[in-house]
Amino acid sequence: MKAKFNTKGFVNSLFFSLIGIVAVLILWTLGVNYTTVGLLLPTPMEVLERAIYTMSNPIGRTNTLLMHLAVSLRRVLVGFTLSALCGVILGIAMGRFKMVEAIFKPLFELVRPIPSVAWIPLAIVWFGIGETAKIYIIFMAGFVNITVNTYAGAKQVDENMLGVARMLGANELQAFFHVVIPSCVPYIFAGMQVGLSTCWMAVLAAEMVSSTEGIGWTITAGQENGDMTQIFVGIIAIAIVGLLLAVLMRWAERVLCSWRVRGK
Amino acid sequence: MMKERKTVIECRNVSKTFYSMAGDNLVVDNLNFNVYENEFVVLFGPGQCGKSTILNLIAGLEKPTGGEIIVSGEKVTGPSPKRGMVYQTTNLFMWYTVMQNVEFGPKMQGVPKKVRRERAQKYIDLVGLKGFEKHFPVKLSGGMQQRVGIARAYANEPELICMDEPFGHLDAQTRYLMEEEVERISNSDRRTVVFVTNNAEEAIYLADRIILLHNCPTSVHKEYIVDLPRPRDYTSPDFLALREQITAEMDNTL
Amino acid sequence: MSEEVKVSVKNLTKSFGDLLVLNDISFDVKDHEFLCIVGPTGCGKTTFLNSLTKLYDIDAGTITLGGQPIDPKKQNIAYIFQEYSTMEWLTVEENIGYGLRIKHVDPAIIKERVANVMEIVGLTKYANYYPRQLSASMLQRVVIARAFAVEPELLLMDEPYGQLDLQLKYHLEDELLNLWKKTGTTVIFITHNIEEAVYLSDRILVLTNKPTKIKQSLPNNLPRPRKVSDPDFIKLRNEVTDLIKWW
Repeated sequence: MKAKFNTKGFVNSLFFSLIGIVAVLILWTLGVNYTTVGLLLPTPMEVLERAIYTMSNPIGRTNTLLMHLAVSLRRVLVGFTLSALCGVILGIAMGRFKMVEAIFKPLFELVRPIPSVAWIPLAIVWFGIGETAKIYIIFMAGFVNITVNTYAGAKQVDENMLGVARMLGANELQAFFHVVIPSCVPYIFAGMQVGLSTCWMAVLAAEMVSSTEGIGWTITAGQENGDMTQIFVGIIAIAIVGLLLAVLMRWAERVLCSWRVRGK
Repeated sequence: MMKERKTVIECRNVSKTFYSMAGDNLVVDNLNFNVYENEFVVLFGPGQCGKSTILNLIAGLEKPTGGEIIVSGEKVTGPSPKRGMVYQTTNLFMWYTVMQNVEFGPKMQGVPKKVRRERAQKYIDLVGLKGFEKHFPVKLSGGMQQRVGIARAYANEPELICMDEPFGHLDAQTRYLMEEEVERISNSDRRTVVFVTNNAEEAIYLADRIILLHNCPTSVHKEYIVDLPRPRDYTSPDFLALREQITAEMDNTL
Repeated sequence: MSEEVKVSVKNLTKSFGDLLVLNDISFDVKDHEFLCIVGPTGCGKTTFLNSLTKLYDIDAGTITLGGQPIDPKKQNIAYIFQEYSTMEWLTVEENIGYGLRIKHVDPAIIKERVANVMEIVGLTKYANYYPRQLSASMLQRVVIARAFAVEPELLLMDEPYGQLDLQLKYHLEDELLNLWKKTGTTVIFITHNIEEAVYLSDRILVLTNKPTKIKQSLPNNLPRPRKVSDPDFIKLRNEVTDLIKWW
């Protein structure tokens, strides 16, 4: 059967998604204007105006909204990259080598249920309140997901395919790079997708505890100043950036794992 | 005027037992046969037992528990690119394109890119997949995937190609097509082939010689030299007579 | 064989989006007839079957069984597909009787009928075995026995012997013919295998490539039991092959 792009269906689902968002915005505006909720909330328009204003005017001393976002993104990028590197290496090693699995699996199972925010006090004691502590927290958030998924991927590598590669003359190293790694890639990506969003959540937590800049800090600052609008600007910026990161990862997966897609 | 034929495979008293908690399972029992250069030999027998194991032993993916297998004068101890394999399920590298799959063997052995591309292209053309070089396997039909598997085995230019029921999962018509393809390919690029099947029609259509195997544990039951003119006609009286003879004999192997 | 029409298909048409799959197909199947349908690989045979069983809504046309619009919920229709399944937790006997039990047939009658079909396909010895204790060909026998046990008005089979050994296939085909003769069921049997069609059928319906139409309807009056090396058999086989051959 031919899989054709269903234009009508796409427009329909877009339409209904928009209805959902618009409905919330309308209810929000009405609620603020006509009920006591107005004492606790700014209107959507106020939030939008403030967002635009803070694009060119600083929140706090020097940083504009976008600069705060950039600070947070840089932290995530560093922490996430480190966690991806370590997670992929450890995951594959655990999946392929019985010895590594025996040593690391119990340790890992212990670390795994600890939420990344639980590391905050410890990170501050160990690394102070500088960048290192934040990156450590972000690292722990991404590392667990990426390792778990990579490990699952490395466990399911088809032994037959390794036999095929050997029959065609591949040595162990070649078989590793041409069979083990490619068949883990979809799993690694699944881990990285979840990992990146947990990293993004962790940076906010880390910044809300101790920081002088970053998008998480703008929320805490808003709370300290009783500035509701600023809190909302921060929350919505977080949501939008989080969404964009997820979309970016999905796009990268589509490009890198195109071999899994049936049809054109 | 029988010429002295070069022996490619010698199976000498080969046995294979699988040991497990549930008990020992003798799968291959004292198997003896030879395969000569450029010969197309079909290992034919009913049931699931033993035939694939024989190919795995020849390929070096399994070790015999008794006897030995000599390929081109050397005892088989492990897998080697000199022995190619076409599998029951296609076993393609799903993450590589048709071209990357076919050139995999030469690439692993360090054949320079230009040479291996040319060679891969030759076999892609030979199996009729010209124009599909950049496709991923997932986009190909079952028959086409099986062609990639055949091209991949040939592109390594092995001394010996083992085919393990390669068309068992295809429908009857695609199967005829693939049998004709194998016939055509082995005419234009003559190699020693050991082909496993449980389909008598397929065996007679392709084989120079059919080795009828006993079922569980496997050993040689009987041999048939097939000297019908090629390409063979599935419905010619001689073809059908031989098929009836072999099918009747097969009941004695169970 | 009576001349009464059992199944009547008129102007059956089905498309998916812009893709026309079944193009105005009309044919009748007589009562007690064994009809084989063959077509080239990739012709709309699955769509065809799914339309017959009402799994798909058809775009145009009518299908009747015994004069009534076909309806698997109301009428007694049995199917045997390529991927056959048995219920792992029931014995062979219970599996075969399952279809009758859910129809609340009298237990005494169930017992008798089940014993009867088990006898014909040679499963009597295995009545108390569970499916996982049986070989693929034995399982296939269970599935066929289960279908016949309900004494269906119509039996639809979609390449049930596709993956089996050629040898076993002949034994099973003979058993199938035996059951068919004894029960007088009307059978529609879809296959890619031309020899199988010639071996089994009273009539062969040859389909074209997509959009699928009926290319030809060939009566098959070869005397039974048939021999694949019989010259008349070969003649009919080649005739059908020439109508289909794409390879």
